[in-house]
Amino acid sequence: MKQVIVHPERCVGCMQCMLACAAAHSKTGSLFTAIAETPKPRPRIHVGAGLYDEGFPNRCRHCDPAPCQMACLPGAIYRHSRTNTVLIDPDVCINCASCAMACPYGVIRYHADPLAPAGKTVAVKCDNCVARQHRGQIPACVEICKVGALTFEERDRAMKRRTEEVARSATADAAPPEQAPGFSLLHTVKKARTEINLAR
Amino acid sequence: MTHHHKTRTIAKDGQLLLQKMETDQVETVWDRHDAQQPQCGFCEMGVSCRICVMGPCRIDPFGEGPQQGVCGADADIIVARNLCRMIAAGAAAHSDHGRDLVDVLASVAENSAPGYEIRDTEKLCKVAAEYGIDTQGRQPAEVAGDLAYALQEEYGTRKKELSMAGRAPEKRRDLWRKLNIMPRGIDRETSEAMHRTHMGVDNGWQSLMLHSLRNALSDGWGGSMIATEVSDILFGTPKPTPTKVNTGVLKSDQVNVVVHGHNPVVSEMVMAAAQDPEMIQFAESRGAKGINLCGLCCTGNELLMRHGIPMAGNHLMTELVIATGAVDMMIVDYQCIMPSLGHVASCYHTEMISTSDKARFPGMQHMEFHPDNARKMAYDVVKRAVENYANRGSVYIPVESVDAVGGFSVEAVINALGGAPDPLLDALKAGKIRGAAGIVGCNNPKIKHDYGHVTLTKRLIENDILVLDTGCAAVANAKAGFKISDAISHAGPGLKEVCGSLGIPPVLHFGSCVDNVRILVLAAALADALGTDISDLPLAGAAPEWYSEKAVSIGAYVVASGIYTVLGPMPPIAGSMNVVDLLTRGLQGVVGATFAVEPDPEKAAGLIQSHIENQRGNLGLDVKNA
Repeated sequence: MKQVIVHPERCVGCMQCMLACAAAHSKTGSLFTAIAETPKPRPRIHVGAGLYDEGFPNRCRHCDPAPCQMACLPGAIYRHSRTNTVLIDPDVCINCASCAMACPYGVIRYHADPLAPAGKTVAVKCDNCVARQHRGQIPACVEICKVGALTFEERDRAMKRRTEEVARSATADAAPPEQAPGFSLLHTVKKARTEINLAR
Repeated sequence: MTHHHKTRTIAKDGQLLLQKMETDQVETVWDRHDAQQPQCGFCEMGVSCRICVMGPCRIDPFGEGPQQGVCGADADIIVARNLCRMIAAGAAAHSDHGRDLVDVLASVAENSAPGYEIRDTEKLCKVAAEYGIDTQGRQPAEVAGDLAYALQEEYGTRKKELSMAGRAPEKRRDLWRKLNIMPRGIDRETSEAMHRTHMGVDNGWQSLMLHSLRNALSDGWGGSMIATEVSDILFGTPKPTPTKVNTGVLKSDQVNVVVHGHNPVVSEMVMAAAQDPEMIQFAESRGAKGINLCGLCCTGNELLMRHGIPMAGNHLMTELVIATGAVDMMIVDYQCIMPSLGHVASCYHTEMISTSDKARFPGMQHMEFHPDNARKMAYDVVKRAVENYANRGSVYIPVESVDAVGGFSVEAVINALGGAPDPLLDALKAGKIRGAAGIVGCNNPKIKHDYGHVTLTKRLIENDILVLDTGCAAVANAKAGFKISDAISHAGPGLKEVCGSLGIPPVLHFGSCVDNVRILVLAAALADALGTDISDLPLAGAAPEWYSEKAVSIGAYVVASGIYTVLGPMPPIAGSMNVVDLLTRGLQGVVGATFAVEPDPEKAAGLIQSHIENQRGNLGLDVKNA
């Protein structure tokens, strides 16, 4: 089963995933029309800033067992087994925030949503784009990400790739792999800048 | 005070006013910068392209995603095009500022600009002579008319070379001709930059970079130089003048009028109105003890240089100054005026006035100044400022002001040296002064406010390197106390001896950001005196806290003029290692100077010191190991 896998070391902080996510969860489905909708669709993936202002795409891990699901008293949170996705039923959600308190990753938000009953504030989080997947599409955040920070693949395949990277870097006389010198340069400058500003 | 504010600025008044704004719940540039994090990496690296609507496009720096835009442009082309457009915008800003001064000069010649006059006929005649204009036995207004016409031609397409570029050493001009980067017309180079960067035109990243240099040269040896020279003609060539700096220059018992922006065309008229005894009497009738005119940013520098008008702060202080509650009016023209200012002012009693037909801002009253009505408008706005004095709430002026001396034009420096650059050359040859560095440019919330400027300056003067500064850097150094003659106590022994005997500070205030051309003129004079090129001199440039497109143009014309330049923040070029390599190494073999990027001012000082010692070695002078 394919899953969205996050590679934070690749995130350039462009926040395109947030836009694509909001548009994908709008009534109209396109960015230009989505911004005119009421309520406004909001992203379910959130790019935070790291210590050096580098990007970090933060989205629901669809934990199993899921702390949010266990904390949900009315039973609004359930698992969609075919895609292994933790979902929230907006009709059942009572907006009690228990799930937010239980969530270790801070990925749940509370607001009126185009896909929830009109006027009702509900818990909203990543649904792995189950509707898009049902249509044969991949999740919107992955589709828009041009740097490979978000991929949609079998978890074991991604892990095997990582195993090979680690193995190659462990070779005694291996030069460190430099895939993107410009990105490393940018990161070095940002890191230096932050350290200088925080010092003294 | 929370540690938080100390990470944002080293300025005491800045820290205290940030604290106040937090209490007042008024958002600042730093809050908005935080809210923008993380900033888009494609844009930071220069690999996003919005030039055409087959796009927008971006290049994956990791190599797996798209490597070309829809049109086929790769990372090198996209980065080069974007940088070229940044330089075009910067050159356009400086040069259009120059054009407005030429317009005033032309109006003065036609006697249609009441209040403006020719204050420096000597400079008028000197510049006119460079354009082959006859000055003998003619009225200044007549000469000014001819000069204004000749300067307008510099903006057009009728010339093969800008006349002002004739001020560069002959070797440098020959090199520009050989490289085909001699600027031909000020507007022409900017216009050509926009043409070249249109989809499907110049797709050679090297040729784009060369044209970028030519465009920048049309600013440095064109638009900016015209701005400085015409300002001197109209308002006087600066002479060393004492002044005071930081928010302590605001007065609790006077009407405080703050001018912010760049062009002296507006601020000079405001000054005249604010100093009129009738207006002062009007202020007294409203319970104030007088009218206190202060500057911010470069229009403040223009007034500081020529009249010793006190300076309230630099770029990142512009919101904070309003939070004192002491500013009765802020008058802006253009460039570097944050559109947030109207909102900040709405939280206090400050009246905000915009004056340029080119620049509007939310939350400001628009009162347009033109050469023919400027004097009247200035009286109108100052009168409103006086009327607003009664609306003041509580006032918080957190610090005492600091003394400084400004006004070091090239003429003033040569004068201080006794009429010729020889004493400076002798001190350089003897090694008492190791070299000179121009520290210029803005503030940027990415760098702790003023820390980059002050730290770099401190390290350089400690090591006997004379510092010439302009713009926001100059204000930072003045606030740090480096601009009084006693500041030689911070200098190394050689610099201390030379500055002490001349009675000048070790850090010379050279003016506003267009006044960087004064540094070019001085460098050219030194090169001519030694019969060499600027790139052979023990000189360096630095922009430790730059943020604007104008600063990129400045950096590019300084490097193209042969001066090694160290930038604090990195320009958006990391997406193309070819462009990075060209700018930081390759240009050495082209124009005899390169850029470096170093956000840590302590390390930047080391880079500049070793460069200067290296240059000394090449000139056959003694070399010290840094």
